[in-house]
Amino acid sequence: MKVSNLTNGIIKENPIFVQLLGMCPTLAVTTSAINGIGMGLATTAVLASSNVAIALLRKFIPAQVRIPAFVVVISTFVTVVGMLMEAFLPALFSSLGLFIPLIVVNCIILARAEAFASKNGVGDSLLDGIGMGLGFTLALVILGSVRELIGNGSLFGAALLGANYQPALIMILPPGGFLALGLLLALYNSYQIKKAK
Amino acid sequence: MKDILKTGIILLIIAAVAAVALGLTNEVTKDKIAEQRFLANEQAKKAVLATAATFEDITGEDLEAITSTFAPVTEAYVGLDASGAVVGYVFKSTPNGFSGAVEVVTGIDGNGTVTGLRVGSHNETPGLGAKAKDAAFFDQYNGKLTDGPIGVSKTAASGNDIQAITGATITSVAVTSGANASIDAYKWIMENGGIGK
Repeated sequence: MKVSNLTNGIIKENPIFVQLLGMCPTLAVTTSAINGIGMGLATTAVLASSNVAIALLRKFIPAQVRIPAFVVVISTFVTVVGMLMEAFLPALFSSLGLFIPLIVVNCIILARAEAFASKNGVGDSLLDGIGMGLGFTLALVILGSVRELIGNGSLFGAALLGANYQPALIMILPPGGFLALGLLLALYNSYQIKKAK
Repeated sequence: MKDILKTGIILLIIAAVAAVALGLTNEVTKDKIAEQRFLANEQAKKAVLATAATFEDITGEDLEAITSTFAPVTEAYVGLDASGAVVGYVFKSTPNGFSGAVEVVTGIDGNGTVTGLRVGSHNETPGLGAKAKDAAFFDQYNGKLTDGPIGVSKTAASGNDIQAITGATITSVAVTSGANASIDAYKWIMENGGIGK
């Protein structure tokens, strides 16, 4: 097991800022910082467990049918997690439940299964899943914070900019998602380019 | 040929295991989930009619008469106190907002006063119509009288008018129309001597 498998996903191979994976839930849920945390943590849990399952099954699944096999494993996982959560952790479900079905269509999970877990051992796959999940969470929280602050004048639900601030509503509408994501990507890339020089 | 058969069988095994896992989870969580949903529903009703200890569904002919005459009301409940006396009614209505149905739960006590209103699931714009879920908006309905319909003002709340959410007049009007339909249904029940006595 290598620690770099854990840390890679957070900054260097950040699923959103570098790999540009999972854009649909990214743009859809980041209207507030708290949504970003919810979606990010729910995805992390599913990503880590689906990576472990795929790594365990990697020798058993024939290469020709690996994609349908991954899809079945992942969606089963998500559904089971969703049902168990609703039954036994209703408080958590009421805040995260909304995001559970969205995770099924999140391509980060399939991408990590395909690119990493199907080629690596269980321990490394677990680390990769957690790292990628945390990187995803970090990116969603940054994006959600920027959009919430500009678009609603608040951060994590607490009004910050005062009553006189006229929120730029476009930032929490769908176009604002694209704008904020584009600008953050540009920032990230310019930082990486400077660092490389 | 042999390869195809082998791959197919492996995929079949994966799908079968997934199906069994889902079936078992459903079996284990089914009752618990139904119970959680029931509790959540009871709490939603209690939030709008705090004086009631239990609720009884209005069903059969009465419900049919209410839903056919007072659309968009879809469900109605009698609120009973601990000794079984009727203390008020709760109505669920689904008026059309800016983008699809908005779920509105309205509680009205036996004296003809609106005791509370909550907005349930909806697809309104985040930051605009979605503010209907904020207490600052729905608390405006508390204490409104059922003598006349509740109005919507764009500038300031006064008398039986509530103040619309800035930039979300359509949502505000929709929620109010749900409340007004509930009020009409309430009046009809009262004129017919009450249900559940």
